[in-house]
Order: sequence, then C-alpha cells, then structure tokens
Amino acid sequence: MIQIENLVKRYGELLALDHLNLEIEEGEIFGLLGPNGSGKTTAINCMLALLKYDKGTVRIFGEEMSPDNYKVKQQIGIVLQNVAVFDELTVYENIDYFCGLYVKDKKERKKLVDEAIHFAGLEEYTKMRPKKLSGGLLRRLNIACGIAHKPRLIIMDEPTVAVDPQSRNRILEGIKELNRQGSTVIYTSHYMEEVEQICTRIAVIDHGRSVAVGTKEELKSMIKTGETITVESVALSDGQIAAVGALPHVFDVKYKEQVLKVRCTRGKHNLMRILSYLQEEEISFGRVFSELPTLNDVFLEITGKELRD
Amino acid sequence: MTVFKGYMKITKQNIGLIIMYLAIFMGITVMMQLSAKDQETGGYRAESVRIGFVDEDGGALAKGLEEYLGKIHKIIPMDNNKGELQENLFYRNVEYIVKIPAGFEKRCLKGNEKLSVTKLPGSYTGFYVDQQINSFVNSAKAYYAAGYTSEEAAEAIMEGPEPKVKMLDTGHTKGETPGYAYYYRYIPYLLLSVLCYVLGNILSAFHKGDVPKRMQASPISGQRQNLEALLAAGVLGIVLWIICILGGIFFYGRELLESGGFVYYLLNSLTMLPVSLSLSYLVGILTSNPEALSGVVNTLSLGMCFLCGVFVPLDILSTKVKTAAQFLPVYWYEKANDTIAEFENITGGVKTEIWQAMGIQLVFAAAILCVAMAVGKRKA
Repeated sequence: MIQIENLVKRYGELLALDHLNLEIEEGEIFGLLGPNGSGKTTAINCMLALLKYDKGTVRIFGEEMSPDNYKVKQQIGIVLQNVAVFDELTVYENIDYFCGLYVKDKKERKKLVDEAIHFAGLEEYTKMRPKKLSGGLLRRLNIACGIAHKPRLIIMDEPTVAVDPQSRNRILEGIKELNRQGSTVIYTSHYMEEVEQICTRIAVIDHGRSVAVGTKEELKSMIKTGETITVESVALSDGQIAAVGALPHVFDVKYKEQVLKVRCTRGKHNLMRILSYLQEEEISFGRVFSELPTLNDVFLEITGKELRD
Repeated sequence: MTVFKGYMKITKQNIGLIIMYLAIFMGITVMMQLSAKDQETGGYRAESVRIGFVDEDGGALAKGLEEYLGKIHKIIPMDNNKGELQENLFYRNVEYIVKIPAGFEKRCLKGNEKLSVTKLPGSYTGFYVDQQINSFVNSAKAYYAAGYTSEEAAEAIMEGPEPKVKMLDTGHTKGETPGYAYYYRYIPYLLLSVLCYVLGNILSAFHKGDVPKRMQASPISGQRQNLEALLAAGVLGIVLWIICILGGIFFYGRELLESGGFVYYLLNSLTMLPVSLSLSYLVGILTSNPEALSGVVNTLSLGMCFLCGVFVPLDILSTKVKTAAQFLPVYWYEKANDTIAEFENITGGVKTEIWQAMGIQLVFAAAILCVAMAVGKRKA
C-alpha cells in the first residue's frame, strides 16, 4: 500500500531523514516508534507531500505521491500532532467543515459527521466551541475531524500527546475499531506502551533511519535480552556482583542505589539461580521482579540509548 | 465551495465585531468630517466685537466711523473716564476701545496723528478692528484728496464701492464643499480598518496551528482554496461597501443623489474596495497573531490616512509628503475625491483625471494582491 524508498530530507546541515525505507501493507496498524527528533513527523509530512524531500520516492496506493495527487489525497485522513480545528466553529461545524473538504454530498456528509461524533464520543458537546473542551475532548475532536470521511488510510502523528489516561485508552480503542472497519493506520508515537498495545507492525526510527522493522515479537526476538531480573538488596560487595555476572545466561549486571539489575539471555531458571546464589551467600534482599523485554530494551540494544531520552 | 462556506461561517461568528467596528468608525467618520468642515480654511465670516467708543469730536466723520464699525460690531458709547474704561476692558465688557479726539478731521486726516486705541493684549480681534479703522481712515483721506467734504466722505465710505460678483453655482453647493465629499473622504479609513480587522481575524483562524497542513493535505487544490477565499473576501467587501453607500445616502439623502458627482463618488469608492481587500489579505497573511493584528491595522490605516489626505486635506500637506504619498493608493483615491468635489459637473479633462486616478488605484490593488499571493505561497 505504501512504499517509501531511500527518502532523504535535509534541513540545512541537519539530516532529518537518512535514506528511510518502509513498506506498509493494507489493513495494518503500523507504528513508527522513535524518540523526539528522530524524524517521525518529517517522514509523515513527506508522505503527505506537505514537505519537499531531497531524494527518494513515496508511493501510496501504487501511485507516486505529489502535492497535486488529489486522487490519493481523497483517500487519506490525517490527525496531526497539534490540534487543527477552528475556535470560531462548534464541534459539529468543525467536523462538518473538514469532512466537507472530501465529501460534497450533503446527505452523505451528515451521516458521516454523525458517525464521527458517535465514534469520538462527542454527542454531548456538538454545540460547544473547542475552547470550552478539555484537552482529551479536544484531541478526540481532532481525530473526528481527520477520520469523518472514512478514509482508506489514516495517518496519526502522536495523537495522544498531553492526554489523560482515560481519553488515551478511548482513543487507542477507537484506532483499533477504525482498523477493524477497514482503514490502514500509520501511528507515530514515542510512547512504547501505546505502540505495543495497538500496532500490528512497528518500525523503530532513530536519526531518520529505520533501525528495525517487524511485529513486536519479532523485534524482541532480535535482541539478546530474554529477561531482566531486578532485586532490591541493601549491600553487595564487588565480588558478589561479579559472581552474579558469572552465572549462566547472565550477560549484564548493574548495581545502583541498592538495586541489582541483571539482564539474561533466554533460558530456564534464571531467576531461581540468582535467588539461590543470594541465599547461599546469606545476602538479605527485598522485592524481586522478573520482566520480559520491552520495546525500550529493543531500542536500547539497537541504538545504545533509551527511548525516553 | 467548502472553503468559501467556511469563511462565511467564521465571518458570521465575527458579525458582532463587524457591527461594533462599523458603528465606531461611522461615528468617528461623521464626527471627524463635522470638525474638519468647521476647520476648513477657505471660508471666512465676520466676527462681531464689543467696541467701547469715546467720541470727543462729535463731527460728521467721527459719526461716520461709529456707524461704519457698527455695521459689524456692537458699539458701546463711553465717556473718557480712564478708570471706567480700564474696568470695562478688565471685565471684558468691551474688547476694544477707540477714542476720537476733538479735531479728529484736522489731527488725524489732514495731519498724521494716529487714533488712540486700547485693546486686549494678544487678542486677534484687536488686529481685526485695527484693519477696519485703518481702512476707514485711508478711504476718508482719499475722499478728502478728491475734494469731498466730511459729510460726503462719510456717506461715500458707508455706501462703499461694492463690486458686483455673479457666481455660477453649477454644483448647487453655494461655493462650499458639500458634506458628502467629507463622508467619501473618510471611506478609505472605514474600509481599511474594518476589512483588515475582520479578514485578518478570519485568515489568522485559517493559519492557526496545523490547520494549514490539514487544508494542504485535503483534495482541494491550493489554487481553488485561494480563489474561494478571495471570493468570500470579495462578498464581505461588497457588503461593507453597500453599507457605506447606504450610510452616505442616509446622511445626505437627495443632496447626494442629485449631485453631479454621485456616480463618480460610487465608482471611486468601488475602486478603493479592491485596494482595501488586497491590503487586508496581505495583512492577514503576514499577521497570524490576533494580538499583533490590532497594532498592524492601526499603523497601516492611520498612517496611510494621515499621509494621503484623509484626515488632513491634500491642499494643506507639504509637497514632500504629497510626493511620498503618491506611492500609496489612498492618495489617488483622495485626489479623485477632491476633483469630484471641486467639479460637480464632470466633463472633458476632469473626467480623464478622475479615471486615471481610479486606474492607478486598481493597479495598486493588483500589485498588492500579487505580493500577498507570493507571500502566502512562500509561507505555505
């Protein structure tokens, strides 16, 4: 459905997109995951022909994307990072206006606007102006304006920034519902939990490059970490820390502020082995956690830095 | 026509603002035109001064001077009592005191003695009465030289050689600038201020946050969006212009409708409309911050109106200012407006002059629109 090949975009000296390659299939919820400034929004703007790029190609629905390819634009809905609505119009008028850019038939438009209002849960607020809505409701209005015309492809650029958890869950469930109804979704975020929760495939972006692409399981299997074990312990000597590091499957040990973090490769009984060692050495310890790898671990191993940086 | 409808909807939200500005500017326009009419330098009217008149001569010429001054001023006969005279002057019972000495004819007309007068210090009325007394004395001297007696000279001065003037009042304005000419003089201020405020507000709504991106990503071409926006601005401008014209008819009625320049006033203000619209469009594109809009609009409208003869008549402006103002469209509007007011029956060369001024305004409008579109494209 979307093919991005060798996309290069420069802002003066800054290389925002560095030969970015992506391929997105119809029916996917495709996540673009990366820290702030990694090039996600630039990639979206290039896809939508809102930005001129220096090199590469963007093909959507088999056609080269350009500013005047209105046939392709007709089938795309966008939800941008900043809320893009008119303060002077009511909730209903805003959705009707933006839907009207795509759908000329009044009757059909009315039906679509009503559906979008229902989808975003804005029934009680149709006559209110955006300035009177809470942050969460405003984001929902922003989404309703972008998806009212039932587009085949929806591009969402960080739609949940500064949204309360309740509204965020509603938005995420809504995105899944849109996908069930047949829309392909491209979703950018720097919140790995969101991406893990809804995306069928994920591209990890760093410095304008796609550093890894796959399902979340595929991404996690690409890395060495199989399990991260955390133990709260008051006092550990350097010798004891080194001994833990020498246990089978353990490849990284960190002890900081009375917390021992042990990263192990995939293997059975990793936790039991560490606890047995602590007991043998008569080391007292408090809480113990064992966590499976997250996308942050994927990012950390691939780029050497945390997603949240 | 979605974009057009969007503009109209946002305009509807601004209707209170439009009415408020219309009321304010209409009020200011009418007040300013009234005050400007009073301050006009071309018309003169005789001032009446209270003059204390001390006649110690009692001759025919002294009586003649009293009568002569009495035609314009209020004459209060007084005794030659210094204290009383000073008191009357102090309490402003009189503004000017003239003393006619005994032997007035011999001393002042045949001799060179000056009349004794007392006046309020720094008062312009003093100079005014001085001139009239000098005029009387000089005339009397002339009549004496011609062999007239005192009585004959006094009588001749009173009758005065009045030149017969026949005034051709083609505009039926009795030689005065008609009130509606002032009304039309202020129209650029009204159009510029209201259109810049309202269109600026609408355009800033369209340029806020990511709205331009959403519009750009839509299947409606940028060219079509611009055309629909211009159409909406045009409709708004036409409505405002009609309100202005109706306002003029409301204030001046038949006087305006029956004047020979009415059609030209309409055409001139109509050519000012595209100028105001294109300027408003440029302001709206350049100023995306509604808070800054007010400052920009005031600077632009007031600045242009002061330089181009709206608030200060072109006749009074210095040559340098007028030369600079020629590079601004409002100057050409005012030039045409002044010409229409001056020649109510417009024919031949005057007609060409007015058409030229209107043509220049249209060229300005086209140039400003091109700049606005170029800036808009660059900002997109």
